[in-house]
Amino acid sequence: MNSTGTKHPPEIITPSAGIIDFPEMTRLSNGIPIYLIGKGTVDLLRIEFVLNAGQVMEKIHLAASTTNAMLTEGTVLHDAMTLNDLIDRTGAIFNHNADKDSASLVTVTLPRKLDEVMALAAEVLFHPSFPANEFRMLIEKRIQAFLISRQRTSVIAREEFYRALCGDSNPYGRITAIKDYQVISTGTLSEFHSLWYRPDNMYITVAGREPQQAIDLLEKYFGSFSGQWHEPEYPCIKFKTAEPGRIFREVSNSVQSTIRLGWKGITRDHPDYHGLQVASTILGGYFGSRLMRNIREDKGYTYGIHSLAGSFHGMGFITVVTEVASQYREDALSEIKKEIAELAIHPVPPEELRIVKNHIMGETARMFDGPFTIAETIRSIIDYDTDHDYFTQFVRRVETITPDEIKKLFHEYFKIEDAFEIIAGTL
Amino acid sequence: MIEFERHTLTNGLKVIAHHDDSTPMVTTDLLYDAGARDEDPAATGMAHLFEHLMFEGTDNIPVFDTPVMLAGGENNAFTNNDITNYYITLPADNLETALWLEADRMKNLNLSEERLITQKSVVAEEFRQRYLNQPYGDIHLLLRPLAYKVHPYRWPAIGMDISHIENAAGSLIREFHRRHYNPSNAILCVAGSAKPERVFMMAEKWFGDISPSEKICRRLPPEPAQDARREMTVSRNVPSAQLIMAFHTAGRDSSAFYILDLLTDILAGSDSGRFPGILVRKKELFSEADIYLSGEIDPGLVIFSGKLMNGTDISKAEEAVIDELNRVAQEPVSAAELDKARNRYESIRLMSYMNPGNKAFALAFHELLGDANGINTEIEKYMSVTAAEIMNEASETFLPENCSIIYYLPEKK
Repeated sequence: MNSTGTKHPPEIITPSAGIIDFPEMTRLSNGIPIYLIGKGTVDLLRIEFVLNAGQVMEKIHLAASTTNAMLTEGTVLHDAMTLNDLIDRTGAIFNHNADKDSASLVTVTLPRKLDEVMALAAEVLFHPSFPANEFRMLIEKRIQAFLISRQRTSVIAREEFYRALCGDSNPYGRITAIKDYQVISTGTLSEFHSLWYRPDNMYITVAGREPQQAIDLLEKYFGSFSGQWHEPEYPCIKFKTAEPGRIFREVSNSVQSTIRLGWKGITRDHPDYHGLQVASTILGGYFGSRLMRNIREDKGYTYGIHSLAGSFHGMGFITVVTEVASQYREDALSEIKKEIAELAIHPVPPEELRIVKNHIMGETARMFDGPFTIAETIRSIIDYDTDHDYFTQFVRRVETITPDEIKKLFHEYFKIEDAFEIIAGTL
Repeated sequence: MIEFERHTLTNGLKVIAHHDDSTPMVTTDLLYDAGARDEDPAATGMAHLFEHLMFEGTDNIPVFDTPVMLAGGENNAFTNNDITNYYITLPADNLETALWLEADRMKNLNLSEERLITQKSVVAEEFRQRYLNQPYGDIHLLLRPLAYKVHPYRWPAIGMDISHIENAAGSLIREFHRRHYNPSNAILCVAGSAKPERVFMMAEKWFGDISPSEKICRRLPPEPAQDARREMTVSRNVPSAQLIMAFHTAGRDSSAFYILDLLTDILAGSDSGRFPGILVRKKELFSEADIYLSGEIDPGLVIFSGKLMNGTDISKAEEAVIDELNRVAQEPVSAAELDKARNRYESIRLMSYMNPGNKAFALAFHELLGDANGINTEIEKYMSVTAAEIMNEASETFLPENCSIIYYLPEKK
């Protein structure tokens, strides 16, 4: 009957993390660093401009994200409609985004349109005009989106966690309020822009089959700005972490509750950082993790549950998140704690650790597969000023970590009494 | 040009191989020609619930995910109204592990009551998380039964109602597996760092001894032409109103698909499109205004969806949308607009094929439509669309009697 049983299962070859090369770096004549990632077979170029213009640099809340969103809403040369028409005619994709620590513009283009696309990139990055009408409309749209987000339990729980962890006087922990949209003005944006959107405050990555073909055009459009490039400087953030314990936020009419359990973690330069990634993966970092097996596959309380250990500039965090029907809330929470306690007492079985190690190796290999993916991966290394061999060190640590060391990490970093226990849902 | 080779096993399994040695990875994509349209109207959501059960292991492989992780892979699946698609991406050295896993669960799936009970509960939570606990999350639960009265597209892949999932009987689910999960009803595509000979040899080894089944002839009731405008008004706890308008169109194999795909790109595919330009920027009626094809195999829908600016009168907003739709039905789009849409299509297409997983799925899907080489020939179909064809298609589609409309309003406090 069962003929597969008569054939031997294929032998699994232990995955390696593959070739982890930090890309070659060159500079424009004014010093702007350019990282060249030449790989792949598809004739497209992805060029990203990363500026040290994230929320950490803002004095008025929302300045960083609004300045970035307004880049394509009109420049000194073109109004919004004309500008967007010029961009779209090239067929290129322009994505721009600002997060806590940096801001970026990504362009993806056919090589034959590169000249036009780079001219437009320089125009939107350095000559936006922040027109009043487009600004007013953007703010109205943002307010609508903000009001919708007030009904998402996942958003509310996330905000409360970062506020508890970081305090609300800095961009990591601050929670946006409707009045923040009334305070900000086009003047705020012009000032933020003139301070941080400068060629001496950015770097560029070029990814694609033949990235060298972009250098001359980058020199033409970005190399002639006066001012010499310098290393980015970050302001010193004052964190104020709350006392651990439960924080409940009511979201009326929600059919599920979001549970977010979290701890203060460690930053990337800490010797335990790599090990903590392994620990977090065992707990809730993959489909077969302890939490998925228990809360989803055994109890059926949730569609998904995840854990993550991460870090900003100056602050690390560990968090477990899930959405469950409100009647399972307390049960789910106590099961999560049970799983954590178990990992702090008993060493993880070697076979389970082997699965996790192989999984991490495969995941790391995929992070370096293809030029566009590599460009995204190395951004985290550059932005956090991490050693260029970060992933090589990471892989070495993953290979050598032992069950006892992992047990120790759970004991030290996942103390139940130190946890923030955030719940957002109905009363 | 995406090159590939094709081989059909004697049990009917179609195998496609695309060699790309610029990556160390390989993706296996196994597409089953079974989706929500193949369900009983009294027990919807089966195809998707079944997809969950496919990850629940067999007697040979008790935990499906373990070998995938050991092999350094990642895997997932999705179900829509037409198909159920499973994929594994892993280092090319371990290709055989992926084929072993897929062949095993095609043949040996073990559907215990216990696993069924848990997955029913997981899927019920998925239903809540994605459709009920999200502002505007239930729009597609409302739109489908409004636009379709007969064809099974009248329910979404998650199911018509959460009770269908909670009450799903084991016998029905086993019957679903028996009918649809067999080699003649599947297409396997392998893309990445593996030569076609190796792919075909391994496919023979692992799938070759699975018994063939007769390919079921699908007889779905066609949706009768809509002859009167349909509308529905709902109030929900949301901060702003949304307007949804859906028009019936032809199937995926029709030229109308390519024509309307370009037209919807001209209208709303990018910031300089007509809807963002006129409905959002100029008239300030909407904060977002989009139009897109549902993209199904059988005759589908072209759907307008727009969030209103607070304070806008919804009938005024609707009028403005209709004006724009009438305009494309009466005047040809400009050469510049058409050119822009073609350039964007070219970039987006190339970008999606950076990734072997996307290529594997696209090849398998085109094979299901009739020929995997559609991945290469569809470019010409897009490039040859004319302004006159767009105008003609728009005039046949955007008719008042062909429209289903939802006024999704904020509750009065």
